[in-house]
Amino acid sequence: MKTLLINTVLVLSLFTSAPLLAQDKTLRVGMSGQYFPFTFVEQDELKGFEVDVMNALGKEMGRKIQYETANFSGLFGMLQSGRIDTVANQITITEERKKAYVFSDPYVYDGAQVVTREGNTEIRGVEDLKGKTVAVNLGSNFEALLKALPYADQITIKTYESNLERDTALGRVDAFVMDRVSASQIIREKPLPLELAGPTFSQITNAYPFHDTEAGRALRDEVNKALETLRDNGTLASISEKWFGTDITKP
Amino acid sequence: MDVLNVEYMLGLVPVLLRYLPLTLQLAGIGMLFALILACLFAVVRVLRIPVLNQLTIVFISFFRGTPLLVQLFLFYYGLPQLFSALTVIDGITATIMGLTMHFSAYMAESIRAAIVGVDRSQTEAALSIGMTNGQLMRRIVLPQATRVALPTLMNYFIDMIKATSLAFTLGVTELMGATQKEAAGSFLYFEAFIVAAIMYWIVVELLSKLQNYLETRLNKAYNR
Repeated sequence: MKTLLINTVLVLSLFTSAPLLAQDKTLRVGMSGQYFPFTFVEQDELKGFEVDVMNALGKEMGRKIQYETANFSGLFGMLQSGRIDTVANQITITEERKKAYVFSDPYVYDGAQVVTREGNTEIRGVEDLKGKTVAVNLGSNFEALLKALPYADQITIKTYESNLERDTALGRVDAFVMDRVSASQIIREKPLPLELAGPTFSQITNAYPFHDTEAGRALRDEVNKALETLRDNGTLASISEKWFGTDITKP
Repeated sequence: MDVLNVEYMLGLVPVLLRYLPLTLQLAGIGMLFALILACLFAVVRVLRIPVLNQLTIVFISFFRGTPLLVQLFLFYYGLPQLFSALTVIDGITATIMGLTMHFSAYMAESIRAAIVGVDRSQTEAALSIGMTNGQLMRRIVLPQATRVALPTLMNYFIDMIKATSLAFTLGVTELMGATQKEAAGSFLYFEAFIVAAIMYWIVVELLSKLQNYLETRLNKAYNR
């Protein structure tokens, strides 16, 4: 009964308490924790390329990094409502997003890639997607890329919160579109019967979005400076080598 | 078919168990508040208190008529957009608020039905021997209504435990969120989610046992 009472008081105070103001030196970073090998969890430990780069940036800037994980579809809502300062989840710079946010310099250069179930001889590239069902992650830029194709009306696009690799392997969709880097990584490391179909079809650059406010722009400038240092001293390249065996941080 | 990776599943158990307390807390606290709110609503509805009755009807209609996920998004992402001070609502608070409002709307109706279900002649009899309204409620109506409402209320509690799995969309890493992230790291979806499913199942089974016990106790007067 006593603990019940204490719990009740705790929650009541939760409802009324003042916001836990982020300490000024802490950078609050949102990520999905579900995007191998950029951000994922193993035995309760958050890992991946994004985590390594962000930790290096934090060290360079003398800031503590506080990670907030949420489903991808929730991340921009958290950014918009000021609960996080930026998103580290391979966010592609697009015209639409540039209207709402300011972006740091790109730190990953990549291309969009079609992936099919192993042994699929019908789909050999983006031009073979006519009349097919194609999976993309909800809120990702690949949906817009597909819709911009001249034959977009002949493609059935299915959006996923997660697990689109599995559905492609199961044959529930004909293909999925993702960035080449993580697609190759998935195929190399995971026990799913998938293969790359043809070359990449659009160059994409990924960066950190910040609030389009004075504070947001100041943070962006600070991150850009740290990014430049990490690029010059080879830290970015070595983190990339560690996860991908190649440098994806250069154009 | 790939062989089930039992070793991975066993390794996952202690990891996921760390997130079970948060799941139970979300549901437990949500249930406590929902019960309080639902009882208030039910009383307002039964006694037809003017103004409050109409407000309650609108409240119940809205929170029963819209999906829980929509309500969670409204509390967590929507409100701060209108009033930036409401960013203080963190994911856990927003989840508890959503669960409370959503389930109180349902529970209010079943509590009201249980109260109304107590035969009217008993009320008349109690009043005729000079009981006050308070005595009537305490001694005659509520004990019988509790017995009737208990199974449905337990049903809602069980439903609420499972509804906490929506919280990860608000950045709250509870059992489901932790499972999703682990599965993304290993790509062993079946293994990860079956471990989570069994955990939810065990919790709900234990609650069913509790329900049986409570029902037996409340039914004592009716067994001969």
